[in-house]
Amino acid sequence: MIAVLALIAGVVLGIVFHPTVPPELQPYLPIAVVAALDAVFGGVRAKLDGIFDDKQFVVSFISNVLVAGLIVYLGDQLGVGTQLSTGVVVVLGVRIFGNVAAIRRHLFRA
Amino acid sequence: MSDAPGEQQPPKRVYAPDFLTELFRNPLDPGYADAAARKLRDGEPTGPRKRMSTGVLAITLVALGFLLVVAYQQTVADEPARTTARAELVEQVQKRRDTTVELQGRADQLADEVAALRARELGGAAARKLRDAEAATGLAPVRGSGAKITVADGPTPINPVTGERNTVARVKDSDLQLATNVLWSLGAEAIAINGQRLTATSTIRQAGEAILVDLRPVTTPYEVMAIGPDDLAKDFQAGYAGRFFDQLAAKYGMSFDARTASDLHLEAATELKLRVAEPAAPVTVNSGPAGPSSTSSEGGR
Repeated sequence: MIAVLALIAGVVLGIVFHPTVPPELQPYLPIAVVAALDAVFGGVRAKLDGIFDDKQFVVSFISNVLVAGLIVYLGDQLGVGTQLSTGVVVVLGVRIFGNVAAIRRHLFRA
Repeated sequence: MSDAPGEQQPPKRVYAPDFLTELFRNPLDPGYADAAARKLRDGEPTGPRKRMSTGVLAITLVALGFLLVVAYQQTVADEPARTTARAELVEQVQKRRDTTVELQGRADQLADEVAALRARELGGAAARKLRDAEAATGLAPVRGSGAKITVADGPTPINPVTGERNTVARVKDSDLQLATNVLWSLGAEAIAINGQRLTATSTIRQAGEAILVDLRPVTTPYEVMAIGPDDLAKDFQAGYAGRFFDQLAAKYGMSFDARTASDLHLEAATELKLRVAEPAAPVTVNSGPAGPSSTSSEGGR
């Protein structure tokens, strides 16, 4: 319940403040979103498994976003930014898919 | 995660060679299982710790919602920016093109002026010689009778199954090269393709679907105009090239036409770089710097 309210509060804050992202941070935004989604789906699955843990979720969220951003930054510096972004998206995508499959099994027993 | 005693920990995760298989099979962070085991062992955290972790979770989720909205807004906002940039580029291209036309007109005007001045200064035989040389190299516009060869693309039907365009009936750069080379060999003195005068260093090249003559695109139908002997068109039609184009026309539906033209007017070549120049000897002092005598003709084709 608190989680949903907090999420809605975040959305409202974003709409109200309508921040502009500095151009040097823009390439990291999509990757950050994918990383955050990975953490979210992991958390939902853990919740359904009955093993959700606040601290674990927070740490995985922050570290996911930071590490994904770091990898893309590193790739940009090395000149393989797009390839590394693709790699990050593939790995996180696989995880998201796996977690969503587990969530689906919980919800629909199928 | 840091306060666990060593001996009860599950064995350290080892990344076996089939790390990817592992990734596919078990996407959940093992941290959740660890945390659950710890909870089972130590009991639920209570009091201020519980409240704090809930608070941190709430803050994280606020950040998450914020992040998602910002990303969404960014994506939506980027779209018009992209189209605006494109429109601006198109406008710039248009403007530059207009400028080019303007400058070209001015260059032509100045060239005419230079030619007039030169004719007045040199006078007589020297000017005539120069004019002849310019006409032969493509530097000056020429007028005369000759032949007009017209070739055009045949039908390019779209394959209903694959959706690909069958381009076998398109005129290729090699066809135009053949036509011009044959015209030169039949004694043509000046040739232009779609109004583009050819010089000794002209190129006819294919770039994708377009044919470039001296790096400027020309399109179908291709009109190869040549000034030369009176039976140029007849010779062309009867020779190898004529048979070749007739065959193409019969086989692929290209159109081909070679006829004698009486009053052709060919423009000067747009660009002919001066590559070699040497001062005319002896240098005359009283009439300013001597005009360079161009030796830029580089043999036939």
